[in-house]
Amino acid sequence: MRKRFGHVIALLSVLALVLAACTATEATTTTGENRPPSTNTPGPDPITDDGIDAATGLPVIAPIDYSGDIVAMGSSTVFPLSEVVANEWIDEGGPNITIDSIGSGAGFERFCETGESDISNASRPIREEEVSSCESIGRIPIEFRVGTDALAITVSAKNYFATDITLAELAVLFSTAQTWQDVRAEWPAHPVAVFSPGTDSGTFDYFVEEVFDEDDAPILGSGAQFSEDDNVLVTGIAGDACTEGDASSTCAVGYFGFAYFVENEDVLTALSVEGVEPNAANVDAGAYPLSRPLFMYSDAGIMADKPQVAAFLTYYLNNVSRLIADVGYFPAPAADMQSGVDALKEYWDSAG
Amino acid sequence: MTGHATHTNTQNPFRKRRRPFEALVKAALFASGALSIATTVGLVVVLTQQALLFFFDPQVSLGEFLTGTAWQPQLGAFGIWPLILATLITSAIAMFVALPLGLACAIYLSEYASARVRGTIKPILEVLAGIPTVVFGYFALNFMTPLLRNVFGDATVQIFNQASAGIVVGILIIPLVSSLAEDAIHAVPQSLREAAYGMGATRLEVSTRVVLPAALSGITAAFVVAISRAIGETMVVAIAAGAAPRNFAFGDDSMLGFIVNPFLSGETMTGHIVRISGGDISYASIDYTSIFAIGLTLFVMTLTLNSISRRFVARFRETYE
Repeated sequence: MRKRFGHVIALLSVLALVLAACTATEATTTTGENRPPSTNTPGPDPITDDGIDAATGLPVIAPIDYSGDIVAMGSSTVFPLSEVVANEWIDEGGPNITIDSIGSGAGFERFCETGESDISNASRPIREEEVSSCESIGRIPIEFRVGTDALAITVSAKNYFATDITLAELAVLFSTAQTWQDVRAEWPAHPVAVFSPGTDSGTFDYFVEEVFDEDDAPILGSGAQFSEDDNVLVTGIAGDACTEGDASSTCAVGYFGFAYFVENEDVLTALSVEGVEPNAANVDAGAYPLSRPLFMYSDAGIMADKPQVAAFLTYYLNNVSRLIADVGYFPAPAADMQSGVDALKEYWDSAG
Repeated sequence: MTGHATHTNTQNPFRKRRRPFEALVKAALFASGALSIATTVGLVVVLTQQALLFFFDPQVSLGEFLTGTAWQPQLGAFGIWPLILATLITSAIAMFVALPLGLACAIYLSEYASARVRGTIKPILEVLAGIPTVVFGYFALNFMTPLLRNVFGDATVQIFNQASAGIVVGILIIPLVSSLAEDAIHAVPQSLREAAYGMGATRLEVSTRVVLPAALSGITAAFVVAISRAIGETMVVAIAAGAAPRNFAFGDDSMLGFIVNPFLSGETMTGHIVRISGGDISYASIDYTSIFAIGLTLFVMTLTLNSISRRFVARFRETYE
C-alpha cells in the first residue's frame, strides 16, 4: 500500500514538471505574439508612409503605446464584432478592454445615466431622451457607424416545411398564432414556440419596429421566450424541431443578429423574407427588409480624458471593415462611416 | 477562580475576576451573530420597501397579484401564479427525486455500510455538494433533456422543460438530504437498535420500524430544508427550464396537457428574477420593482416552510437521555 502511494507521488511530480514546462512554453509564445513587427498589418488596408490609414485617413494606431482601461457596454449584437476588434487590439499589446453584452437600452443607461462606460455599443441609433439624459451628466454622444447587421429569421435545420415568410406572416407568427397553419394554410398544424431576444435589446426594438410598427404588445402577449443570451435562443430554436407526421410536436421560430445564425448554420435555417434571402449582396443592395445599422457611441470629454478610448475607436474604424465579415455582419457603406471618421479626425487634429 | 477567591475573602467572595480577553471574544462572537441577523433584517427591509413601491403602483392590485394567472409585466399583467406554479412543479419533481434517494442513501450509510465503504462514499457525496450549480444547469440542458427526449420523444418534451430542471435540482440536493438525515439517524441511541436486534429483528426491520420513527423529527427537518433549497434554486432552472412565464387560463387550457405539464417550458420565480435583473429591463420601471415583490413572495414561502418545520420538530421530537 505504502509502496503504491510512493508511485503516485512520483507520477504526480513528473506530471507537475511536464505541466510547468508546457506553461512556460505557452507563456513565451504569447509574449511573442504580443509584439508583432510593426510593419505587419495584413489585409487590404494599406498604410501610407506617414502612418495614415488609406481607407479612413485616420492615423494608424499602435495599441502598445496606450495604457489605462476601456469600458464598453451595450448591444449583444455589436458584442461579437467588438470582441474580435478588441482581441486584435490586445494581441498587439493594447491595454485591457471590458465589453459587457447587456443590450442597447441598458448600455445607454450605463453610458448616459450612471456614466459607467466609455463606449456604448448599440444596434439602433440613440434616442432623443437618451441624448438628453447623457447631456444632463455632461456627455454629448458622438455616433460611430461600424457596420450593418441583418436580422435572421430562423427555424431549426430539421424544420421540413418553412423556407420563406412575408412580413405580414411574421406579425401573425410572433403574436397570435397557435399553430403554423394559422400563419399559412398550407403549412402543417404544429404548435408554435417563439424565441426572442430580451425586451431591452436593440434587436427586439428593431424587430418590433419593422414587423409590428413599433407596437410591442402583440409579441409580449404571445408567450414568447425572451432571453438576452443568444445561445439560449439558438438552443431553443434548434432544439424544438417538429417531426413530420406528428402534429403535437412543437416547431420553434426565432430571430437574432445574422452573426449568430452564421455561427450556428449547421443547426439552423434562415428564412427568406419577402422572397429575399439574407446575404451580403442583398443587404448591400438594400433589398433585404430586415437589415439595420450597428453603432458605437462615445463622447469628446471621455476621449480627452482617456486617450486610449480615442485610440481604440480609431483602431476600430481602421480595422472593422476588414474583420467584420468573419463575425457574420456586413461592412457599412463608407459614406455612412464618414461622420464618425470626421469626429476622430477633429480629435487627432486638436491632440496634435 | 476558587484559589483567587480565598485571597480576596474580605471583600465580596463571589466577585468575578476580570478577564479582558474573555470579554473581547464574547463581543466578537456577539458581533458575528448580530451581523447575520442585521443582514437578514436589512434584506427584509429592502425587499419590503421595493415591493411596497410595486404594490402601491396604480397598475397593480394585490388581488390580481395573488390570484392572476398571467405574468406579463410589460403589458401590465401581474398575476404571480404562472411563476409559483413553475416553482412548485420543479420543486415537487426535485423532491420526488431527492427525498427517496437521499433518505435511502442516509439509511444505507448509517445502518448498512461498513466503515470503509462509508469512508469512501461520504466524501464523494460531499464532492457532489460542492459542484457549482451552473454546471448542474448545463448538465440538465445537455444531458437530462436529451435523455428525457429519448425516452418520451421530442414531440412531448420541449427543449427547455421543467422536468429536466426539476430532476437535476433533485440530484443537486441529494447530498443535503442524505447528510442531514444521516445526522438525525446517527443521533438515535445505539441501545434502541441493540434492543431490536436482541428481539430478533432483521436489519430492514430495525431501519424502517425502529430507527426511522425515532429519527422522524430530524428527517422531517431535513426534508423541509431540502424543499426550501429546491424552491430557492436558481441557476439550474434559469438555464434549463425556459425563459418565459407560462401563462394560462383555467378553462381554456387543459390542466394536464398544459397547465401542470412538466415537459413544457416554464419559468420559476427565481429564474424570472435572475433573467430580469440580468439586464433585460431598465431599473426605473415597474417590471424592475415587480421582481422584489416576487422575491418577497419567495421569502414568505420559505419562511412559512421553516416555521412549519420548527413546529413539526418540536411536536414530534423524541428525546433520549
